[in-house]
Amino acid sequence: MKQRTPVIVGIGRTAYGRRSGRTTLAMAAEAAREALADAGLDATQVDGAATYQAADSASPMAVADAIGSPGLRWNIDLMGGGNYASSVVTNAAMAIECGLCDTAIVYRSLNGRSGRRFGRADGVHEVGGALQFTAPQGYMTPPQWMAMWAREHQQVYGSTCEDLGAIAVTQRRHAVANEHAVQRDPITIDDYLAARWINEPLRLYDCALEIDGAVALVLTTAERAADLRRPPVGLHAHAEFTGAGGSWERWPDLTTMYSKEVAPALWDRSGLRPADVDVACMYDCFTYTVMVTLEEFGFCERGEVGDFLRSGRGTYGGDVVVNPHGGLLSEGYIHGLNHTFEAVLQLRGDAGERQVEGAEVALVTAGAGPYGGAMLLGVAE
Amino acid sequence: MSVDAAQLPPQPRPDPDSEGFWSATASGRIELCRCRDCGLWHHPPLERCRACAAETRFDPIAGTGSLRSFIVVRHAAVPGYLDAVPYIVGMVELDEQPGLRLVGRLLDVDPQHVEVGARVRAELVDLPPGDFVVIAFRIGEGKPDE
Repeated sequence: MKQRTPVIVGIGRTAYGRRSGRTTLAMAAEAAREALADAGLDATQVDGAATYQAADSASPMAVADAIGSPGLRWNIDLMGGGNYASSVVTNAAMAIECGLCDTAIVYRSLNGRSGRRFGRADGVHEVGGALQFTAPQGYMTPPQWMAMWAREHQQVYGSTCEDLGAIAVTQRRHAVANEHAVQRDPITIDDYLAARWINEPLRLYDCALEIDGAVALVLTTAERAADLRRPPVGLHAHAEFTGAGGSWERWPDLTTMYSKEVAPALWDRSGLRPADVDVACMYDCFTYTVMVTLEEFGFCERGEVGDFLRSGRGTYGGDVVVNPHGGLLSEGYIHGLNHTFEAVLQLRGDAGERQVEGAEVALVTAGAGPYGGAMLLGVAE
Repeated sequence: MSVDAAQLPPQPRPDPDSEGFWSATASGRIELCRCRDCGLWHHPPLERCRACAAETRFDPIAGTGSLRSFIVVRHAAVPGYLDAVPYIVGMVELDEQPGLRLVGRLLDVDPQHVEVGARVRAELVDLPPGDFVVIAFRIGEGKPDE
């Protein structure tokens, strides 16, 4: 491994819950400090910082300053959605590889439950841009866009609500073994079907669990990682794609997502195949995202996700373990950066009761619909 | 009498690219952005054509199309619609051009009677409190006045 090869050397997070009573700055600082302690580094060595946000969080310069960084030689504050949950990591990796900085914190901190909720449009009075044509119709939230897309999949491939339910049920079963998950009570397919509609054809358990909290990662060079506490986790490959200008109305085929472009690029760049993946942290703002991305990353055929999960191929002892932490549906919605936290934990063998035996390669996907990215992570050689 | 802003739907904020759309609906016409040169339709509108970079203008559309997908909104989440659930929102593929789509409410229909692929017709409705007129849809081919 080259000296400046970027690696993930530390992970940290706050408690997850419904009412933090704290600022996003305070939570980001706690997660960053924990990640640095995990790595065996201190804040005086932090000279890079990155996040992504929707005007709902503390800036990289504020967070770095709050933990005592002497100053940043590189920082980036991406404005956008969960599609940036992988880009933000690879941007930091590139900055390290290029020598722009040596040690970077990457974090996401949000009061996604007690503050601004992604599933609601509270306080929206006026809308510009593309939303001016849809929001006045009462159509402007992600659970509405996703329901519109999911129906097309049901029409074209004959997928069912029970198939979407199999995703929710599987992930909840995984969350039972995760003390950090906000929802840990097992659910059955009957519970899923009996839960209230959000927007037909999506029900309550199809939607991510909006929570408050923060996650942070620390990246540095392989050279520096050699002296640190934890085995470094490396990046095999990254790919991302945005189409149709990011429009949920103009994307041509609602049964496909960004993964149609990202999956082949990722397999090509890494030389890996779906069969090489032990842990699949699939971005799950909604069950439907998991359905399409499992298909498009090649874990099963079109329209077969329900059978794939019901037959045990997506859990312990199967082909791959899908969201062993319970994902955004059950652990909670830290906008996808908690997927990378889980991937690192699994690859280091530190996942305790829910450890995927012999986990060597983890897929982390990020985003949904017309925009997203994905990373393949592995224990660095 | 003051109107509680939370009771109003989100109001459009017209811009130089979209003001032709909103001035048309306010005048009772449904017009979309179209390239003056190659004739390609664009929605949302663009100042210039994405294919040939020529100037665009607003041209009338027939207002007919097919229902590509729809949802039944049962969870109140958008101001102005908090007491309106359930309501149906459809994604309509317009007859003018493949992939040319509008999203709008489906009016006066039971969710049980809505099917993907249904023929629909656009209709203009006032957006409370009445500063803008938006496009909604009805199942069926007939004109509203027939």
